[in-house]
Amino acid sequence: MKVHKVSSQSQHEQRNATKHHGKNKWRKKIHSMDSTLIKTSAGTAKLGQQIAKKEKPKLKRLKKSYTKPIPKNSCAEEKNVKATSVTFAHVHTNGGTELDDSSISVDSQEWSEYAKSLQNGMEGSTSPTTDQMEEGGLQFHAHFDHTHNHAVLVMKQGQVLCFRGRCLLTCLYGHVEVLGFTIEEGQQPYPLFSPPSHCPLTITALGNNSPSGKNQKEGQLEAKAIVRKYISSEPSKMLMNEVDSDSCVVLLEPLDTPLTRFLTSFSELSEIFGLNSKELKSQAAVYSPALSAVGVTALSGACAQGLVMSHSYKEAVSSLLSAWAGEFDRCPIILVCGGKSAGKSTFNRYLINSLLNHTVSVEYLECDLGQTEFTPPGCLSLNTVTEPLLGPPFTHLRDPEHMVYYGQADCQADIDRYLESLKSLCRHISGESPVIINTMGWIRGYGFQILVDLIRLFSVTHVVQLSYGIAPQCQLLTPEFLRTAHGWQTHPPTTPSLTEEPASHSSIRSHVFLSVQSEFESAGTSGEMQYQRSNEQRDLALLSYISKLQSPEPGPIRPLHCFIPYQVPHSAVAIGVTHCEVAPNNIFYAANASIVGLCCLSEKVMGRGGPVVLSQTPICQCVGLGVLRGVDMGRGLYFLVTPVAPSVLKHVNCLLLGEITLPKILLTKQHGIEGDLPYVTMDYSFEVQGAGKLHIYKGMTRPSFINN
Amino acid sequence: MKKKTARKTRHVVAWMNKAEYEHVLEYLFSKEPALQKHALHRISAWKGRLGQSTPVAVDSTADLVRCQVLDSTGQLEGNDLVLLYGMALVRFVNLITERQQKKIARPLRSLARNINIPAWVVNLRHDLTHRRLPSLKWCRKGCGFVLDWLHQQYWSRQMGSQLTEDWNSSSEEEDEEDEEEFVKRHEEELIRRQKEIEAHKQIRELLISYEQEQFRTYEELVKQGGQHGKWPNASTDLSWILTQIKHYDTEARDILLDVLMQDGFLIPTAEQLESLDIDPSEDSVDMFSPCLPRVFLHFWLPCLKMLNSSVFMNLLLDKLFAELLNEPSSHRTYYIASWISNIFLCNSKSELKAHKRLKIAKESIFMNRLKFPWQNLISACLNAPCPATPFLLRQILSDMDKPLPQDAQQNLLQLCNIYTQGYHGNASPGPSDPAQPVYTLQNLQERLKSNTSQSRDAQSSNHTTRTVQALPTEDLQEKLSAETIQERNFALRGSAWSVCTDRVPWKQYPLGKVPGQPEDPTCLMVECYSTFTVFDQQVELDQLPQHHGNRSVPLQSRASGSDGPLWTHSDLSRVKAGLKLF
Repeated sequence: MKVHKVSSQSQHEQRNATKHHGKNKWRKKIHSMDSTLIKTSAGTAKLGQQIAKKEKPKLKRLKKSYTKPIPKNSCAEEKNVKATSVTFAHVHTNGGTELDDSSISVDSQEWSEYAKSLQNGMEGSTSPTTDQMEEGGLQFHAHFDHTHNHAVLVMKQGQVLCFRGRCLLTCLYGHVEVLGFTIEEGQQPYPLFSPPSHCPLTITALGNNSPSGKNQKEGQLEAKAIVRKYISSEPSKMLMNEVDSDSCVVLLEPLDTPLTRFLTSFSELSEIFGLNSKELKSQAAVYSPALSAVGVTALSGACAQGLVMSHSYKEAVSSLLSAWAGEFDRCPIILVCGGKSAGKSTFNRYLINSLLNHTVSVEYLECDLGQTEFTPPGCLSLNTVTEPLLGPPFTHLRDPEHMVYYGQADCQADIDRYLESLKSLCRHISGESPVIINTMGWIRGYGFQILVDLIRLFSVTHVVQLSYGIAPQCQLLTPEFLRTAHGWQTHPPTTPSLTEEPASHSSIRSHVFLSVQSEFESAGTSGEMQYQRSNEQRDLALLSYISKLQSPEPGPIRPLHCFIPYQVPHSAVAIGVTHCEVAPNNIFYAANASIVGLCCLSEKVMGRGGPVVLSQTPICQCVGLGVLRGVDMGRGLYFLVTPVAPSVLKHVNCLLLGEITLPKILLTKQHGIEGDLPYVTMDYSFEVQGAGKLHIYKGMTRPSFINN
Repeated sequence: MKKKTARKTRHVVAWMNKAEYEHVLEYLFSKEPALQKHALHRISAWKGRLGQSTPVAVDSTADLVRCQVLDSTGQLEGNDLVLLYGMALVRFVNLITERQQKKIARPLRSLARNINIPAWVVNLRHDLTHRRLPSLKWCRKGCGFVLDWLHQQYWSRQMGSQLTEDWNSSSEEEDEEDEEEFVKRHEEELIRRQKEIEAHKQIRELLISYEQEQFRTYEELVKQGGQHGKWPNASTDLSWILTQIKHYDTEARDILLDVLMQDGFLIPTAEQLESLDIDPSEDSVDMFSPCLPRVFLHFWLPCLKMLNSSVFMNLLLDKLFAELLNEPSSHRTYYIASWISNIFLCNSKSELKAHKRLKIAKESIFMNRLKFPWQNLISACLNAPCPATPFLLRQILSDMDKPLPQDAQQNLLQLCNIYTQGYHGNASPGPSDPAQPVYTLQNLQERLKSNTSQSRDAQSSNHTTRTVQALPTEDLQEKLSAETIQERNFALRGSAWSVCTDRVPWKQYPLGKVPGQPEDPTCLMVECYSTFTVFDQQVELDQLPQHHGNRSVPLQSRASGSDGPLWTHSDLSRVKAGLKLF
């Protein structure tokens, strides 16, 4: 786990470094300048080298940008560069001999300790299994090591592993790409999640594009040495034969986190990392004991397509990347829109990952209440993303920088509050890294007007509009269209009389419009398979949030009701309902055993006994969610269970109740309870008239229309 | 019961327990505006919980009741009210029929007909939406009808209380008969009745003469000193009377049975008993195990032997049970029960000693064993409870051709014992038989215990092995070290928050429950609260937040005194759920 620790620490430092340097982009420019300078003067090159060294552990990800050019220029420095850039691998060879003493930072010492601990464990190994499978041209060379409980996978350049399941991936040699993110040797391990609800992840071997200064033989020997290090017994010939200088070696470890343990503890979710029904039907799973031992099921055939990227898709990404690389005069603010299931969220992830290959952080403004990326549903948030997103949203919930609890999975009920909340968030955008704005799938009627507003309000520089099929789902949001379009709150600039134009026009900057055609199979159709429905996804996000309560150490899963709650007097925190009017004297009937948004009002809340009921919904900072586990009427206390840290909880003085409800499974499955469960019954009959919820038939035709 | 076992899925509902549901149901339909308002407030909280998944029926009921409440205040004008009622009615008709809509829109009228909403309600809806606004009277009428409908169709049927009779059975289709036909029938009826009265008289006389003849025989027996000896074979007079009786058995069996049932025939009067030298006082008999005095049996034996046919005997049994149902005097009850018991005894399948003895003594009524409709007899027997019911029931159960399962027999007997307040005897089965229905508080407690242990077993058995294997040994309750608590409380210092340090076994309290929380559906009512107005956070305001002190109307609680009922609300609802009517 040290690896993690180190990396997060370095992340942190990295951020500091960014701040230090001012605009991140600038530093990049400095680096590129460095590399050009190296060409001319060795002295400055050394300087640059020192900077690189100093920052090396913090900027593993950026190493490419300066490893690439240097060796080409000076062979003398190659050794040094190699030493610094490939520290990780070399430490594992247990030599440390090649290392320049000066380059052993605190970090790398930790690395070597870690490596040694790895090596010590390697000695007493037994019963290895090596797989070579061949099925329809698919051949994965993987070896599972029982002693260390990990698998080593050797991939040829260009080989693709499309899989279901979950694992922790470390690149040992060469580099691989996952969902737009490049992982190379020396980088921290990354968790990969590929549940059946989303498009399966693919690991693509990009080969080894590192300095061709080394000849092939050296590369091959190096790679083979790495494989040997990770396999305790003598690896099979087949595996070793596969290793070449341009092949990739990745280490796959089983991934067991509180999240995976919590989710799989529910029998309904036991298959959450399995295959979906379509894959099962077409028998897409490839048999591989070594991979399945670490929780990975390789797919083959039609199901193993992974992310299908159309031409326009790739173009849009590359033009956005170049926008960041400096072809644009200010930090890009990218708004991604499109109808439901058009692939917005996957596009966002791919884009973020691609950007993270080139920058340390991306800002992400969440405007989609239903399918949130980093938070539980019903929250609007501004996030700083520094880690790649290698799985669906529920696998990477993070605490956002700023968050507002809206309380519903769509914004129709109170569009003004929605827009005001977003405005309050957008004030916190730093403007130093690219911003990605994710929008709702609601693109008709007011939904479309809101999009127009968002483009104006956030001075968006790039609009990516995803569509599918032949006809676009809505009007294209081109700059020309924006000139006349009416939003919900904003209106087109009152057609400036031609005489005044020059002055006013300069302030209105128009955006770049990128149209992307989604060409994956089920574009535009919402998933109907298990775990794919939007309400299931919302429940998964909530479960994932609640799983943070579980202790990080492996152990039994603790049900929600078993946690020791926090308590707070009724009169010390305000309570309000966001989505409907509840009689104040019945407020506890609505709040008991419900999810509440934990919010901070700037004003002090002081009741005079009894609850403090909000008269309207405020727009305020939300620090997280909690479960109001009970209400003590006698002593006037709320009991709350929440994963929010106590130092943050301290500031909470407002509980907001929304339409985001506790996943049913948490109420119906409460282990160890004797007697009846509140709010749960087995007697409710849906056969009785009117027992169901409001039912809306969309697209019902009138009989008179049939003949036409 | 069947339904429950068929699909034991747990649903999340807005009410904490059944008591809360019933509390709201009662108040909604109480016709008392204050209580109705109370129910509406609770439903507002339910809607807060359920959001978009509030049941359509609950939503509609709340809207309509709201109209009634507003109407009752007298503060709104007729035109205001029409608009209010109108919206509630339109929404009801549209939403309730929406479920039935398919791809192609179908007329509301036919959809409504399927669920017993009359056309006039649909017409009212059409008037409200497309035509002239209807009068307030019509709106009130519509609202009243729809609320009744919702009460019947949703509220009374939901949550396992399917006690209401089928809506369809209510007399909607009355025979529309022709006037003439009716008169004709009436005349026929009169003639028939006349005939019956005539036959009744004749049979009565005939039976009295039978009794006289038999009594004469008895007196002769007594004179001979062989009171307990063998009765002689039928005399010629008696034979003639018996043939007459036999004739009436075919002609007017019902009347014959009626007469036999009257006091002084199969049910002896006190004088008759005295003359037969039987103690008529009730102390001398055991009400719980009735037995016919032998002399009296012999007195009637010739008659019954003559009438011995399975049809007649079945009718006789029916009649006897039917008489029991009228809750006769204990004397009558005793003799009716005795006759029933005797008939069973004579027809007993097991070659009991008593039976053999009867046969030898020629005391048996039947030559051959008759077939009885046992199931019907059980229900007849249980329908007419009397002190002897357990005794009779046991006879039936042991004589049945296809005996019921052992546990069903046990249950029936136990139920019977409880109902008749009889002595348990050996019928009381061991404790915590899970299939055993709940009838007493003790049963209930036992059942609860066994239920929870069972459900736990079930849960652990069908759960994935890995996680649950650890469960029994590991304590699920979170334990925080003193340092952790201190650390957390330190972090929370300066705020109203703290870690709950009460020694509470939280693992025993499901979400939504805290220690000491009563089951009472009014337990979470807030008596006083303050309102807090927040000014938009965007706007920097130097104004202070406004506080309004507010006292809610004290709740009129219908719950009984503070000492609390012995049975809590949820106990009661559980008892109600377990109740089964025969």
